[in-house]
Order: sequence, then C-alpha cells, then structure tokens
Amino acid sequence: MPATLCMADFDLPTRSSSGFVLRYILPRLEPVSLYGILDRRLPFQLSAPQSDIIIGVGHGQQDAFTGQHEVVIWEVGKYDPREVEGKVIKLLSCQTGVELGPDLIRNGALSFAGYKDDYLWICDADLASTPWGDKMAATCLMPVVDSINALLDGKSAREAFDIEFEGYTRNAEAEEDELIKSCIEFNHDNSVLLGDPGARVRARPGLALPFRIFPPPPIILPVGT
Amino acid sequence: MSSKDEWQKYQEALRRGDRAAAAEAFRRYQEAKKREGKGGSKPTLVNLSTKAKAYPNAIPVDQIPEELEKNPEFFDLMRKVVTKEK
Repeated sequence: MPATLCMADFDLPTRSSSGFVLRYILPRLEPVSLYGILDRRLPFQLSAPQSDIIIGVGHGQQDAFTGQHEVVIWEVGKYDPREVEGKVIKLLSCQTGVELGPDLIRNGALSFAGYKDDYLWICDADLASTPWGDKMAATCLMPVVDSINALLDGKSAREAFDIEFEGYTRNAEAEEDELIKSCIEFNHDNSVLLGDPGARVRARPGLALPFRIFPPPPIILPVGT
Repeated sequence: MSSKDEWQKYQEALRRGDRAAAAEAFRRYQEAKKREGKGGSKPTLVNLSTKAKAYPNAIPVDQIPEELEKNPEFFDLMRKVVTKEK
C-alpha cells in the first residue's frame, strides 16, 4: 500500500515544516505525494483509501485539518470512513488532537499522533527557500521527522511517539535561547497519541544514498514572499 | 543584565497579565540577546493554526512586543507557552 503525504506549501510556517518533510521523508516514499497545489480534498479522497499511513503537514484547528491555502482535507463528521479505516495517521498541525484525532479513531483509524494546542516554532525567514537548513526550526521539526521516519522503519506508533518526545526533551535541555526552548517544551507537552500504541505499517526502504548527502534544490518562492 | 535575567522579567509580566510590561520586558530580552550575539538573521515565530485564530501565523520576533500590546489572544498564547499556565 502506498503512503499519503500531504504537504501544504503556501506561507512561511507551511514552507518551513513541509521543507523538512520534503528533505527527509519524501524521498523514502512512493512518487505520488500531495505537495503544494495537489494538497487538496479531491486528490486526497482518491489517495487516502489506498494508503496504510497518512502523514499530513498543514494548518489545523480542533475539528479540521487543511491543505494548500487552508482548503479542508478532513473535518469532523464530513469524510468517508474508508479514508481512515486501518490507517496510521500523523498530523503536524495545530490542535487536531482535540476533536479531529478522536473522531478519526472512532471512524476506524489504527492510531493518531498530533497536538492538542498550537504547534509553534521559531524559523529563520531568510531561509524560506532552503528551510531544511534552518537550525532554529530543526529544534522542533527534527523530532517530528525522526518520529515519522521511525514509523516508516516499521516501528510502532508508541515507539515513534516516544522518539519525538525524547527528541524534544533532548533539544530543550541543550537549547540556550529561552523562546525556542519554551516552544519546544510547549510542543512536547501538547503531543498526543490516540488509538492502538502497537499499530505499525510495513517498513519502507531508508533514505537512498544521494538523498542522504544532497539536499533538494532551493524552493522557488513566489515573487514578493 | 543577561538575556536569562530579562527572560525571567518577561515571564513574571506574563504571569501578572501585564501586557505593556511584558512587551517592554521582551524588548529588553531581545536587546540582551543581540548584545550576546545570539539569534538567526530573521527569526520568526510561526504556528500551524488556521485563519480562525486572531493572531498571525508568522510574527517576526522583533515584532512580538507590538503584538503582545495590541492582541489579547496572542498575549494569552504566549502566557501559555512561556509560563506553562493553562
């Protein structure tokens, strides 16, 4: 079964977060990903039922997860249960752990990992075209990348969740900037795992050698950003 | 005064609910950090909430004091983030 990977990419927070997924996750997965303008409801409806794992990066609120330009991808009570049945789900988004996550589990998702409050971090706006090189953003986003990679290595939802948790703890202890440290701790405290902690998907091949060494080319930014 | 000391004053102002004092304390914290040579070239506080929220998704760190003064929802968010008070 393929993976469904949703990556919104239209403003600084989505560009920064999707940039890390683009660099460290995308090359491990099947060629079709819902990136940028493809990150919309219809392509998602076609892709999700065939997937064993759904990874989403985008803006969210308590009852909804959104894609490119905040078009709704999932909203409580407004999706086909076939989109979630038997799936391992990870959403990097604000507050979806409050209502949407429990709703996905009620509709048959194996596990859901997300956040109960806003997901915040400090990024360097001058690195918008090469967000994967942003060391400030990495303090929050690399634990997320590590947990997604753990899922793709065949580890359980609980093991992957713990990896993210430990990553935040480690980065917070080492961080000297108080604002960045507060953001890391806030994301750590609001991480939530629902459903079956033993849920797992088939392991995917690791990041191939060229992708481990070479980052993608810089993202072409729209004029005026 | 070090950035750590200024940060403590910022935390205290957030706990008191004093928006003007929090904004001023954050300004001093930023100045202390510059003196210490810390921070990226354009650090920006970002979040992944939808437009339903009353604060922006991206706020340059040097504009946080103004946002604290004018936006009560953003002040509440920062209070939760910095003081861990729900």
